[in-house]
Formats: sequence, C-alpha cells, structure tokens
Amino acid sequence: MIVLQKGVRKLWELILINGLIIGGQYALLALGFSLILGVARVLNLAHPAFYMLSAFTIYTFSQVLDFNLTVTYILSLVFMIGLGVVIYQVILAPVRAQTSTVLILGLVLGIAAQELMLIFYGGQFRSLTRLASGTMQLGDAVISNQHILALSAVMLSLLGVWFLLFKSRFGIPIRAVAQDREVANLMGIPESRIAILTMAVSVALAVIAAAMVAPIGVIDPLMWLHPLVIVLTAVILGGLGSIKGSIMAAFILAFVEVSLVFLAPGAAFLRGAVSMFVMLTVLMFKPEGLYGVFMEGER
Amino acid sequence: MLLEVKDLSVSYDMATILSGISINVQDGELVGLVGPNGAGKTTLLRAITGLVKWEKDNRRGQRMGKITLEGQVSFMGEQISNLSADQIARRGLVHCPERRRPFKEMSVYENILAGAYLLKKNSPEFKRLLEEVYSLFPILKDRGRQISATLSGGEQQMLAIARSLMGKPKLLCIDEPSVGLAPIVKRELFERIAAVARSGITVLLVEQDVAMTFAMSNRNYVLSHGRLVSEGTSEVLLQDEDLRKSYLGL
Amino acid sequence: MFAYLARKIWRDFQGEILALPTRTILFAAAVALLLLPLVTDDAYLLRIVATASIFAVYAASWDLLVGFSGQTTLGHSLFFGIAAYTAALLNLRFGLPAFLTIPAGALAAVLAGLLLSLPALRVRGPYFSLASLAMPIILMGLIFSFPGLTGGEMGLSGISRLAGTRTGEYYFLLISMFVLTLLMWKIATSRTALIFHAIREDEIVVRVSGINTTYYKILVFCCSGFFAGMAGSLYAHFLRVVGPSTLDIMMSLQVIIWGIFGGVVTIYGPVVGVFILYPLLEYLRIIPDWRMLIFAGIVVVTLRFMPEGISNKFQDLLERQCPRCKERNIFMRKECRICCTDIGTCSRVG
Ligand SMILES: Nc1ncnc2c1ncn2[C@@H]1O[C@H](COP(=O)(O)OP(=O)(O)OP(=O)(O)O)[C@@H](O)[C@H]1O
Ligand SMILES: [Mg+2]
Repeated sequence: MIVLQKGVRKLWELILINGLIIGGQYALLALGFSLILGVARVLNLAHPAFYMLSAFTIYTFSQVLDFNLTVTYILSLVFMIGLGVVIYQVILAPVRAQTSTVLILGLVLGIAAQELMLIFYGGQFRSLTRLASGTMQLGDAVISNQHILALSAVMLSLLGVWFLLFKSRFGIPIRAVAQDREVANLMGIPESRIAILTMAVSVALAVIAAAMVAPIGVIDPLMWLHPLVIVLTAVILGGLGSIKGSIMAAFILAFVEVSLVFLAPGAAFLRGAVSMFVMLTVLMFKPEGLYGVFMEGER
Repeated sequence: MLLEVKDLSVSYDMATILSGISINVQDGELVGLVGPNGAGKTTLLRAITGLVKWEKDNRRGQRMGKITLEGQVSFMGEQISNLSADQIARRGLVHCPERRRPFKEMSVYENILAGAYLLKKNSPEFKRLLEEVYSLFPILKDRGRQISATLSGGEQQMLAIARSLMGKPKLLCIDEPSVGLAPIVKRELFERIAAVARSGITVLLVEQDVAMTFAMSNRNYVLSHGRLVSEGTSEVLLQDEDLRKSYLGL
Repeated sequence: MFAYLARKIWRDFQGEILALPTRTILFAAAVALLLLPLVTDDAYLLRIVATASIFAVYAASWDLLVGFSGQTTLGHSLFFGIAAYTAALLNLRFGLPAFLTIPAGALAAVLAGLLLSLPALRVRGPYFSLASLAMPIILMGLIFSFPGLTGGEMGLSGISRLAGTRTGEYYFLLISMFVLTLLMWKIATSRTALIFHAIREDEIVVRVSGINTTYYKILVFCCSGFFAGMAGSLYAHFLRVVGPSTLDIMMSLQVIIWGIFGGVVTIYGPVVGVFILYPLLEYLRIIPDWRMLIFAGIVVVTLRFMPEGISNKFQDLLERQCPRCKERNIFMRKECRICCTDIGTCSRVG
C-alpha cells in the first residue's frame, strides 16, 4: 500500500518519507510476529490478519458506532488483545508442538477473519479518519501531520518494545523463555503465562500499526495478504530470532518497494517479485539471514 | 521427609526409561545418584521437577514420542506430581540441568537475575543471596557483563549453579556438574557444592565421578537400566564387591 | 492356471488390503470412484471428482517433498504452474498433442525442481521455506512482464482436450491419479525414501555416514517436481485455460492445507485431504458469501482436535503397530499378524 504524499515534490523525499512509514508499518508487524515466534515458538501466520482486524475494529468503533478516538483506541486495544489471547490459548497453543499444523491453523484463521470482514463490510476500500489534519513545513518539504504522527508512533512503539525487553522487569523472563523454554521453567518462570503476555504485546503492536499507519491509506479485508508475505520475508531476511534483524529487514524491504514504485511506476506490479529477489540473494550469501543465529537444538 | 518419590515410571513411546523408582531425601542430606550412561538419572530428575510432564504437555498432537508418566512425588509433604515445572520451582525444588544450559545470549548478571525471578530485584533477600553466591563464585562478580555463551565450560557450570541458588532452593538437584572440567577445577567445584550443602541446602547430586561423589555424600542411590540397583551410605556400597565391579567401576 | 492366479491375487488382496481397515476403506473408495459414472451422469459431480484427482496428485507430490524429506516448501505451486504453462505453450504455439505436452510439462517441473534444490542445499529449515515461497512469486513477475507470450493476467486459453468425451476424461484422470499416487507410494516406502527420512531427521549424521546428501536432496526435489508437474499439465489440458492463478501463493498454501488436513508422511493422506476438502469447498458455492468462512471453520476445528491429520488419526484409532516387526495390525488383534508377537497390551502408537 503505497501512499502518495501531496505537497512534496522531490523524488528522494517521497521515497524517504513513504519508505520510513511503510517500513515502520512492516517493522511493527514483523516485530510482533517474531516476538511470538521467539517466545512461544508459534509461527502465527494470522498475525497480519490481526492488523487487518484491528483496522476494521477501529473503523467500527469510530465510524460506525461513533465513539470518540480515545475511547475507540482503548476499546480496540482491549478487544483485539482479548481476541488474540483467546485465539492463542484455545487454538494455537494446544497444538504448538506440531509446527506445520500451527502454520496452517494461522493461515486458515487469517482467511476466516478476511471472510468475516467481507461478509460484514464487503470488499470495497474504506478509509479511517485521520488523527491529525494539516501539514507541517520541514526544511523545504511539506509533510502532513498524519505522516509525522504515524512516524513518531512507530518509532515510539519500537522504543517501547526495546524498553520492555531490555529495561523492564518482564524483559528477563521474556528473553529467558525465548532462549530456553525448558530451563526458564526450572527458574520458576511461568512459561505459558509469559507466552500469553507476549501474545498480548504482539497484538498490541498490530493495533498500533492499524491505528497510526492505516489512516494514511485505505483499508479492505484483503489488506493483510501483502504484509503477510513481507513479514515472513522480513523475519527470515533479518534472521530468525533476531529482533534487530527483522526490523532492519522490514525497512530494507519497504525501501526496495517504495523506490521501485516511484522510480519505475510501470513496473510497480513487480514489487513482490523484487522483494523476493532481494531476499533470495541475501540468503544465498548469508544463509542465516542478516543477524541470524541458528537456534540451538532446533536444527 | 523432604522429598519422597514413589513408584515413578516413565516411558517414551514404548521404551520404558524408568520403572517403579522409589527414593527419598531427608532434610539436610547430600544424596548422590550414580549409574552408567543411559541409566535414567537425568530422566529421574526431570520427572521429579516436572519437566517430563511439561514435555508431555508440549507434545500433544504429535504422533511420535508419546510419553507416559506414572507415580507419586511429594515434596515437604505436598503432592507435586500434578504441578507444572514452574510451580515446583516456586516451592523450592530447583533443578540445575544437565549440560549447564545458561541463557546464552544474556549476560552473566542477567542469567543470575533470571534465576532470581521469584525474588524482588533489590529486595534485601535478593541482595543477601547475591552476596552469598558471589562469595561462593567470585569470578561471576567480575564477569557480570560478559555474554554467558562466551564463558568457559567451568565458568558456565558455576553460573548454572549460581543461577539455581538464586531460586532459594530447599532441595537443589544438580545434574552432572563435573562434565568436561579439569581435575583441579572439578575438585574446587565439588568443594563449593559441599559448601552449599553445609549452608543448609539439601542436595541431590547426579554424577559420573563416583569416587568424589561418594566421598562427600551422606547416602547414595545406584541406578541402572531404569531400575534402582542399590542404595546406602558410601561405605556400605563400597564394600559390595559385585556392585563395585558391575556398576561403579571402582 | 487361471484358478491358481485368481487364488494368488485373492490371497494377496486379503493379506495386503483386507487385513488393514484403512486400506480396505481406501480400496472401497477407489472402487466407488471408478463406478461413479455408471450410477450418475451429473456432469458437475464428475468434474469435481476429476479435478480433485489432479489436485490429489499435486498434494501427494507435496507430501513426498515435505513429509518424507522435510523440505517444507511454501512454493509448491512453482512446479504446478511451470508445468501448466509449459504444456499450454507447447500445445498452443507448437500444436503438440497432449501425450507429448504432459511429459514435457513434467520435465519442465523437474528442471524447476533442480532450480529449487539450489537454495535447499544452501539454506535450511524456515529459511528454505521462505526462499521457496519466493520462486513462484518471481516467476509470476516474469509472466506478467511478457504478456505477449504468456497471456499476462488473462492467461492462455484454448488448450486441446484430454479425451473426446467427458467420461473418457474422467477415467483418464482417475486412472492417472491411481497410477501416479501408487508410484509415489512405492517411492515413499522404498529404501531411497529411508535416506530422505534420515536427511530430514539429521542431515549431518547422514552425511558422515558416507551418503551423498546433495544427490538425494536434488533427487527428491526432481521426483516431487515430476509428479507435481504431471498434475500441472493434466490440469492445463483438463481446464483448457492456464492463468497466473496456477502460480499463486494460494495454490501453494492450499496444497499445505490439504496435506496437513489429510495427514502427512503417508502419501494417501493428502489424497484423502483433497477428496474431502475440494468437493466441500465446491459444494459450499451454494452459499457463496459463507463459503470460505465455513471451510476455514471446518479446517480449524478439525486440526485443533486432530493435529496429526485425519488419516493419521483414523489409522491410530483403527490400527496398532507391532512393537517388534513394525507391521500394522487391526486394533482388535491380540497378536501381530506377521510375527505373532503379543500386542494386546501395548498402547496404540503411530
Ligand atoms: N526425550 C526422550 N525421548 C526418547 N528417549 C529418551 C528421551 N530422554 C531420554 N531418553 C532415553 O532414556 C534413557 C535414559 O536417559 P537419561 O538421559 O535419563 O540417562 P542418564 O542416566 O542421565 O545418562 P548420562 O549419564 O549419559 O547423562 C536413554 O536411553 C535415553 O536414550
Ligand atoms: Mg544424564
């Protein structure tokens, strides 16, 4: 979903701003995805569908039920986290030993979410109300306030996750579970509860992406498919289990995509293929991704 | 009685790993558990501290490797067979796993913090325990910021024991601490373990080095092929010629 | 002489098929499918079964690659699409008949297998899954880039038919499916497959045992590619249009859904999966809006309670394995039908 920015004329500015925002969106999703993958070993293909569902939840609360934005965000966050945790606990966690089954369950859940939204809202494009109107002068570029807001929200969330993992009191148990679930148990760390907490954080990141970035473009029930491919690519490209890597990769992929769209508009349909080509090339030279470590005992 | 295991049986698929094991550990003892490779010592510890149950729960839906676990384990008079591993650790039955397994990407200090999950950080109790652990293993204090994957084997073993001690164990189960250590380091480590035992923590020690284990233990169990072969104080066991030849290799 | 042969066949039949309930069920289902055109001339139903036969081959070829050798590919549609396009192009541009284009399509898929084995030799596990996902997407980009040759988004149409009559096509596809899946089953239970299995469990150990794992990895990709390619070219000639949908991610993901739903590492599991799920999805067309949702619901509930897949679940319920000779027995038996070991007491195991 590429967003044209009115008022900015220079090409590199377009690429920079859109690359940052779309990269931020991918980074939030990739981060949530790799958190739950690392901590609970659940490859949750439904994760981008949570993003889509969050956008529609926000749409429902703010535009159908006419709540104000604060209420909308709080309700959406609560609702989506609840939904995510219930799905994890009831459907994914019980079968997580069977990785391929988890994979399919996630995928099929995503399809179910998509169909449900198609039934309720139909396939047409909708847009969320923008949080901020007006524009801002930055040097000689004019940027809409919504873009500034989205960018800062993305950066704040990434910082927040860093804080959670490395500074807060949940950091150590979360990382301990991610590194060795069995031994974490022996230290008295309730591994299943930490997984639920991580699931909540992961869904919250999807909600933030939907609340901040989705208003820039349009929403529709199929909007999770492209991020699905990108998120998978980013997590692999960055190296499984490396949070830094997946964030970097998300931005790289976004810039590749955005540059292609702006520099060669005629070839925009190739954006998926080009991202894939980039990933394939990197993997051929670095088989474990940019920052990957092979997970011990899981070769 | 601190720990009482009754008729514990474990099987993976159709292979019986442990059959009808009953052991007990009294308060304040240092109990050795020895036996040849593959005897089931590690499995016994894992079954006691809830890891076999955890593994079983985490294998739901898998076709291969069906685990069965039977028997009773009670700790300080309480049935713990149905508790999860983290609840068992909470009750003061702490397991220091085989192959050390530090949290590799975390620093030494963070590993210790992970071990102290049950304590409030910076509480007086935490500080006291940390002091104790540091006086037992001074090297850990200097290496606080080092990533634990880069520690040497012996240092990793000390870290593993330190981490377990931070969980305020009443009973500490240590699995093969001496693997891969130089003789001097090994002796030193055993002295530290003896010191831990003297400080009032009951220890259940799984070891291959029978001589050193017997030298410091109050009582021992000998396990082979998933069955208890013998039990008793070191002196009694060492007098049994058959046992020495066929199981202990002394 | 004939009496002797007949008796021998009957004995084999008894020993190999009637002895095991799951095989009996499969055999009965196959016979029922063969007899279907005699009892109904519902063109829609016959068409669904025929299409399902094609997808069954496709799904089984996926199992050969993923279940048996553990190369979890997310881009299996590469084989299917490449074969479909090759068959269609050869047929339309050069006028080659179906009996040439079908093997040619399969051959193209074998080449694609070679191509896909390149990343498989370099990267492992989830990294490979994603690398394989990339291939069909890149190929699709190429197809869109040369609309003159490939028909672009519209695809190619007007491919010649497989047989003169509907019933002819039906039997052609059904028999092809039986032959191809039996072949795959033979491969999957052969000694070579044992090596595939071993590579899946621990590649390094296999390599130090002096086995050239590179060769076997390439081999399994080519094998799987061949069968998926057969399915792809049959599909081209049966539907008579080939579009980008044959390379779509959904096409790759669908086969995983069928395979895992049916039960992996069995070859016939994915076939069962296709024959349950494909007609289900087709008949749900009567409620178009709810179709995918109901489908998804059924898959989720099934996998939540039978994560090992339907056929494995039923096999575990109806049969048990002899602990000594690993032969399967019907669950009522107290002793193994081959080695007479007592199996009454041991648990049911896969
Ligand atoms: N998860 C498992 N699945 C299948 N078999 C297992 C599993 N864990 C242990 N075993 C088997 O159980 C037996 C006992 O293993 P265990 O690790 O308890 O032995 P041990 O006495 O600790 O040996 P060592 O002194 O070599 O550490 C071994 O034969 C082992 O192969
Ligand atoms: Mg052991």
